[in-house]
Amino acid sequence: MALLEVRDLSVTYSPRDSAAVRAVDRVSFEVHDGEFVGLLGESGCGKSTLGNAVLRLLDRPAAITGGTIRFDGQDVTTTPEDDLRSLRWVDLSTVFQSSMNSLNPVITVRRQFADTFEAHSDALGNDLDVDARATELLEMVSLDRSVLSRFPHELSGGMKQRVALALALALEPRFVLLDEPTTGLDVVVQRDILDRLRVLQARLGFAVLFISHDLGTVMELADRVMVMYAGEIVEDQPAAEMVTRHLHPYSAGLLGSYADPRDQVVEVEFIPGRPPDLSQPHAGCLFQPRCPVAVDACRTVHPELLPASLGQVRCLLVEQSGDARVVLEKAAELRRRDQVFAAGLSERADAEPVLVVDGVSKVYKTRRGLNTTLTQAVDDVSFALRPGQVTALVGQSGSGKTTIARILTGVERPTAGSVRFKDEPVDHLGRGALRKYRRHVQLVFQDPFSALNPTRTVAYALSRPLRNHLGLTGAEARARAAELLETVGLSPADQYLDKLPHQLSGGQRQRVVIARALAPEPEVVVADEPISMLDVSIRAEIIALLDQLVRDRGIAMLYITHDLLSARLLADEVMVLNQGVMVERGPTLDVIAEAKDPYTRKLLAAIPRPGARDIA
Amino acid sequence: MTTTPETIDTEALRVTALDADASSRLPGWFVILWRNGKCRVGMLMLAAFIVIAVLAPVIAPYGPRLDEFGASEGPSAAHWLGTTARGEDVFSQLIYGARTSLIVGLVAGVLSTLIAMAVGLTAGYLRGVVDEVLSFFINLGLVVPVLPLMIVLAGYAPVKGLGLIIIVITVTGWAYGARIKRAQIITLRTRDYITAAKFAGDSTARIIAFEIVPNMISLIVVGFMGAALGAIGAEAGLAFLGLGDPQTVSWGTMLNQASLGGALTTGQWAWLVAPGLALALLITSFTLMNFGIDALSNPHLRED
Amino acid sequence: MLYFVRRAGFFLATLWAAVTLNFLIPRLQPGDPAQAMLNRLQGETTAVNPAQLEAIRKLLGTPDGNLLSQYWDYLGAICTGHFGVSYSYFPYTVTAMISSALPWTLILVGVTQMLSFAIGTLLGAWAAYRRNSRVDSVITLGSTFVGTLPFFWLALLLIFVFAITLNWFPDGGGYGGGSSPSWTWLFVSDAFQHSVLPAVALLITGPIGWIIGMRNNMVQTLGEDYARLARAKGLPRRRIALTYGARIAILPNVTGFAIALGSLLGGTVLVETIFNYPGLGRLLLEAVSNKDYPLMQALFLFTTIGVLTANFLADVTYGFLDPRVRRAEAV
Ligand SMILES: Nc1ncnc2c1ncn2[C@@H]1O[C@H](COP(=O)(O)OP(=O)(O)O)[C@@H](O)[C@H]1O
Ligand code: SF4
Ligand SMILES: [Mg+2]
Repeated sequence: MALLEVRDLSVTYSPRDSAAVRAVDRVSFEVHDGEFVGLLGESGCGKSTLGNAVLRLLDRPAAITGGTIRFDGQDVTTTPEDDLRSLRWVDLSTVFQSSMNSLNPVITVRRQFADTFEAHSDALGNDLDVDARATELLEMVSLDRSVLSRFPHELSGGMKQRVALALALALEPRFVLLDEPTTGLDVVVQRDILDRLRVLQARLGFAVLFISHDLGTVMELADRVMVMYAGEIVEDQPAAEMVTRHLHPYSAGLLGSYADPRDQVVEVEFIPGRPPDLSQPHAGCLFQPRCPVAVDACRTVHPELLPASLGQVRCLLVEQSGDARVVLEKAAELRRRDQVFAAGLSERADAEPVLVVDGVSKVYKTRRGLNTTLTQAVDDVSFALRPGQVTALVGQSGSGKTTIARILTGVERPTAGSVRFKDEPVDHLGRGALRKYRRHVQLVFQDPFSALNPTRTVAYALSRPLRNHLGLTGAEARARAAELLETVGLSPADQYLDKLPHQLSGGQRQRVVIARALAPEPEVVVADEPISMLDVSIRAEIIALLDQLVRDRGIAMLYITHDLLSARLLADEVMVLNQGVMVERGPTLDVIAEAKDPYTRKLLAAIPRPGARDIA
Repeated sequence: MTTTPETIDTEALRVTALDADASSRLPGWFVILWRNGKCRVGMLMLAAFIVIAVLAPVIAPYGPRLDEFGASEGPSAAHWLGTTARGEDVFSQLIYGARTSLIVGLVAGVLSTLIAMAVGLTAGYLRGVVDEVLSFFINLGLVVPVLPLMIVLAGYAPVKGLGLIIIVITVTGWAYGARIKRAQIITLRTRDYITAAKFAGDSTARIIAFEIVPNMISLIVVGFMGAALGAIGAEAGLAFLGLGDPQTVSWGTMLNQASLGGALTTGQWAWLVAPGLALALLITSFTLMNFGIDALSNPHLRED
Repeated sequence: MLYFVRRAGFFLATLWAAVTLNFLIPRLQPGDPAQAMLNRLQGETTAVNPAQLEAIRKLLGTPDGNLLSQYWDYLGAICTGHFGVSYSYFPYTVTAMISSALPWTLILVGVTQMLSFAIGTLLGAWAAYRRNSRVDSVITLGSTFVGTLPFFWLALLLIFVFAITLNWFPDGGGYGGGSSPSWTWLFVSDAFQHSVLPAVALLITGPIGWIIGMRNNMVQTLGEDYARLARAKGLPRRRIALTYGARIAILPNVTGFAIALGSLLGGTVLVETIFNYPGLGRLLLEAVSNKDYPLMQALFLFTTIGVLTANFLADVTYGFLDPRVRRAEAV
């Protein structure tokens, strides 16, 4: 008998002021004792909702509208809250998606452990030594016992998440649900926590349902992987099988967005389009509008989740054809035409640099009470940006990447050193000169949701730089704005000009942000982690766009990232920054293939390698 | 009411309004307020008060200061709510009183909202020393006991009149709004789209006016309603204490004269009850509208 | 630690600002304020006695005295506790008047405000705990409804019903006509009788702000991840409501309390006036209507200092309640 058994589970959000959303639709799966199961899918496809349903933590307007959840043979679908308590944490614990807010801000870490033990004193007995047990748990996640007397706000994000993990294991549960437990943390920290998790899981033997949109990690950690799309499970396979012989076109698309940046030729795919609106009824396969191999029947017949290969798949093509592999190879071929972005070995001649950064340092003075501390954010950094080329700036969070971007764009003035734009010094510009300078230097932001004013239309956003920097107004500006939208692949432009940001998807917004940066025809573009907030499935799409713009328009780009794969795809040159010091610099492939600096190596080691577990 | 400013999603509310704008010929903000049941009732009530105030000369049977009737009479067909100790018609005073309350609410509300915006926006956008100084004044304005200050100011004033009351209320009533607006602008100014506007070459004034303020509309409206409500209450209170102009007909002076004129002992309950009830209804209309806006802009409070 | 230093700094700065404001207000009018005041006094009473003249000069300075030296003298007078002589209660000093009225206000306001805060917070927490239930609607709608009733009007109705019509309580004053303040059982019970209606008036509307504030805050904290995690941990519902919901939700109410103190005093002025209660509020109003400027000035200063002090104490309490503030390096 399986530990967790979910049958035909449906969850519906019925908000008062909008249509009901069937976020989870007749989902069935099992998790066995000690099994590590991954749950993959783009954001919004119902993973967290499913997780919360399993934990029986759904709040209004969400409710379970069908199906059953059995835990260890016991039906817990409708068990009253009070009866659930003895099951909670003792058998079934969790780590939430955001670590920032899952610890009570006004009590110490010790108390957070203590009240967990207290709540289950009948199971644990009263003579438990809280400090000793908590220390032991903290040590499991590599934290010192001094953390016990601290309040959550005194811990870093990574530490908080470790505490959350230690808490989850406090009662040696049989099942732990992890919902994107490391999202938002620094890559190296993420890696650390996940490695720790894997070791602990092997040692303590609890079962895991690991929710993530980061498939590299899931593939590497999990025994079995389920792929979810639009509220349904579309594929369920052993991890190794999923890596090499996935069957569903959606799984193929997701997996295609991964590659090893150390390879000579790196290719990534993307899935165009966006998930369907689940408040509308759909006939046929939900993936059909985005599916490259869809056939006529897909529009009308809704496929069932049926056994295939070593698991289950929900796809008509797989269902019909005896040999599914053939179908998928055809699919791969089709996709390759327009949904693939490849980076080979770049061999571009050196052009004259447009922007030269020479020996730049930045020291921040921070006043804490009466004592002033000096922080060396950037330490003697020099580099040059050349037209038509991308220079990647890689480093951990807090390593000074953004400070460099701010100095480059004139937001911040360097403490020492100089920045020259076409031989003009631009490091100490006055207000007016700065405005003129910004005609030539533009920014692409990280968060597409914050980069566009939610109350201004796309046309307005684009018209401002056109007016201020190029003097275009009225119909002229509108025509140019439309051109820009076409350039970034939002076509026909008329459909987008009068939209408000919330009417666009994340990827479309990021395209608008890019269009706005292009509006004044800049020579230099600084892109600060432009894809890190986007879903994996569309990252490659934006990378391809940036690449094309840089090459076609001869733009010099500084590409800031902590993700070596995207650096490998886009950049001609890579610079690695560690605590304000440039520790490594050179042609992308050289730096990545023969990393010398320990930090670069750590970054490389942090890149998940799907299927690595089986090989090792 | 007391909602923590941090939780108010004014951007989302503005977006909802813009959406509604596009789908209807009426202004978007009106459409979304109208959709909310509580808001709708509040708006209808307020509209009724406005109509009464505007049409006061038509509705009121007598002039508010006409004192040719019998003194301290109980309700009758000729005087629905009786007469005052001076022989004036209570019902007519009640009708004209709506004018005073609405004028004070409108003018003092607008003035203190303007001050609050100027101070709050400047402090929040510029930060640094300017912020320190302005924040000090905001906090000072918050903690100083308002009514005693009003009383002292009114006590020194050489002439009494509605204008003075409005000034006093404005001077003492802007701080809370300024504090909330400052907090909101501090949140909004860190948005990337503000940086983007700078890179697009927009000036600071334009950024505040076109990028930030539209996203704060709901906050400004709520702030205005709070200020207007406070002003209406303060006017009534000051007038009741006898610090207003006794010639102005307002619900506060009515209550003052009722209590001085012996309504309590002669049992003229109508004279006593009517002005208070009118005031309560006006306050209710504002409260209902506030509730609606709160529910719209604070996702946690949405009823579901 | 820094938090407390900053709060203390703010306290001192506001104190200074209030003292200065008090100095400036009478000087805001154009011309010589002392002369203007004399003219106004003369217009009403027939003669201004020399003591009044002296007091006014002391308060507002001679026409040729410069502002700075006046300010200096004024600060000196305040520091030494010399507030002058009251006009209307001549020959009593302002200080004597204030100290006889102070206990009345302190007890009435202190008790009712503490109670309001406690009742309001409890009811608000209960409403949030039973969110969307009948209890919640009764509490929320009820308090909203009561909150719209003008406070002084309610007080008038209370007198009308309970003092005049039913005759259960005296209709005003702090104590019965014959007696004079003393710590005898008779007097205390008499004073208590007199304070019931004013206290009820303050208690009807007092808790409302706290109810709504607490409910909204707690609805929010109960929706946060830490409260959901507590549920997942199997903590009893009541426990979650207390340590995860109410404990955190009460914090903004404490700062709110600090800030609201200033406006709370407004209610006191009204209530004391309506009930003819011998406290500071009524004294202030009398001072204003008698044009007793020294008394008025001193009363304003006193109430302001009182409010600022209470505000400071509330801030300090907040610091102890919220570790995020207490243990932060910088605020
Ligand atoms: N409070 C809510 N009200 C209405 N719909 C919601 C709510 N929360 C989530 N949804 C919808 O439910 C679906 C699944 O969301 P979620 O479970 O968060 O997905 P994931 O965890 O995979 O990102 C989405 O379509 C989302 O829009
Ligand atoms: S059923 Fe059709 S549309 Fe759906 S995934 Fe399979 S081939 Fe694509
Ligand atoms: Mg999720």
